[in-house]
Amino acid sequence: MTYLVVAYAFAVALLGGYLFVSLRRLRELERIQ
Amino acid sequence: MNRYEKAAVAAVALMLIAGVAIFVFAPTDFLQGPVQRIFYLHVSSAIAAYGCFAVVLVGGIVYLRNESAAADRFARAGALVGVIFTTVTLVMGMLWAKPIWGTYWTWDARLTSTLVLWIIYAGYLLVRRLAEPGRQAARIGAVVGIFGFVDVPVVHFSVTWWRTQHPGPIVVNDALPPQMLAAFFLTLACTLVLAAVMIAIRYRIETLQDEREDLLVAAQVVPARQPEAAR
Repeated sequence: MTYLVVAYAFAVALLGGYLFVSLRRLRELERIQ
Repeated sequence: MNRYEKAAVAAVALMLIAGVAIFVFAPTDFLQGPVQRIFYLHVSSAIAAYGCFAVVLVGGIVYLRNESAAADRFARAGALVGVIFTTVTLVMGMLWAKPIWGTYWTWDARLTSTLVLWIIYAGYLLVRRLAEPGRQAARIGAVVGIFGFVDVPVVHFSVTWWRTQHPGPIVVNDALPPQMLAAFFLTLACTLVLAAVMIAIRYRIETLQDEREDLLVAAQVVPARQPEAAR
């Protein structure tokens, strides 16, 4: 069970973190533009 | 909220639905227990990564044919998102392997070729980051992206070409009960949508960054020419 929780926690952190950082970067670039 | 943010919210909502299918709808595996639920996102991420690297391949070919900046941007976006999905595949696979095989890693054909795939595209990203932006970097990137794709069929067919610790194809061999199969296809569809949204967002970022760089280059060129014009 621990491995299952760690596996999905990692996936959510990586995919969600990347999506969040991308959207923040996009907003920043569009503001500069 | 712009259209990219709306698309991201929709993709996250779809992934939450996939989460319900994985943890509520899909039955627990009799032999492996709850840890088998890693399968759904592990395999979906691998297929999403194949799709991303196919974008790099097509982008590279189109760039070499007509030097389209848009194709190069798609290739860069596909490589980054593909590396992220390959990372998810590798780490989830390792965390599944430990309770089932007793080890996080073994150098069998499937695991090794997937690690090589990750290294190829991480190398691609490194080349694009370190090389001076321009035609030369885009050409080198296109060639690396095209030849790198050779590893995708090697990864996919490694379980049938060689004897591996990693299990062979189970989805195409009808080895899953219908509820598991339905949960898998739903997760796969949602993961592919998420990958497409991530590529679209990255493509937009690459476009804005390219435009900004062009403006900066133009701004550097203008002051350099001014004293000449004054003479």
